Amino acid sequence: MNGKVLEANVRALPGMACIDLTGEISAQAEDVLNQAYEQAMSTNPGTILLNFNGVEYINSTGIALILNLLVKAGRSHRKLYSYGLNDHYREIFRITRLSDFMRIFSDENAAMAAV
Amino acid sequence: MQEKWTELLHFSLPSQPGMERVAMERAAGALHGLLSDIALERLKTAVAEGTLNAIEHGNHFQEDLPVEVNIWYSPSAVRVNIIDQGGSQMIPESSVPDIDAKLAGLESTRGWGMFLIRNMVDEVRITGDGQRHTLELVSYRESNP
Repeated sequence: MNGKVLEANVRALPGMACIDLTGEISAQAEDVLNQAYEQAMSTNPGTILLNFNGVEYINSTGIALILNLLVKAGRSHRKLYSYGLNDHYREIFRITRLSDFMRIFSDENAAMAAV
Repeated sequence: MQEKWTELLHFSLPSQPGMERVAMERAAGALHGLLSDIALERLKTAVAEGTLNAIEHGNHFQEDLPVEVNIWYSPSAVRVNIIDQGGSQMIPESSVPDIDAKLAGLESTRGWGMFLIRNMVDEVRITGDGQRHTLELVSYRESNP
């Protein structure tokens, strides 16, 4: 059985690029996630915003993939923000300390206000 | 006093990618109403990660090797055993992942599975009998906020 394959849509916002994510972030999501990140980078944004509203499941490999994006963002001196995480995944981002390095907002407007 | 355990569900899954989601959903269905919503979400994550470890590190993605899942409850706790056919090689105890080292490129960004499991449930035990590994997960029914 395969779960819902991750889909990603990139759109431009003032000062940032937003990646809308839908589906599951697991090993099968690696190519989609990386391609979306590269597409977002092509507009040379100062900040990349991950929208987790449509994400149903993130596993330990998904945590590693998100961490890879943080590494890439850091190397290019860009910020990686996020919104749309439910309480359970907020807890996981806190436990893993992802949230120490990636600001988590309640919604898109709050993230845009921080840029 | 000896805990009285009642079996809720027992099933086997092939060692295929994605089966951890099946294990998670079947466990959640069986345990619905026995844990708070928060505790159930945590246990679901632990079951998914434990099953993923069994498929990947225990059975090495050999589809014909089953992952067995046994679920029990007692008045004070629920217990999920996840069993692979990993032989005599014990699953190594993982250290706490160092996110600073990972971000600095000093170690792999992977390696979160056992860390997540240990943070999602109240008790974790790993045992082996030379042929099989058993990961035992216990969540207390009233301790989780």
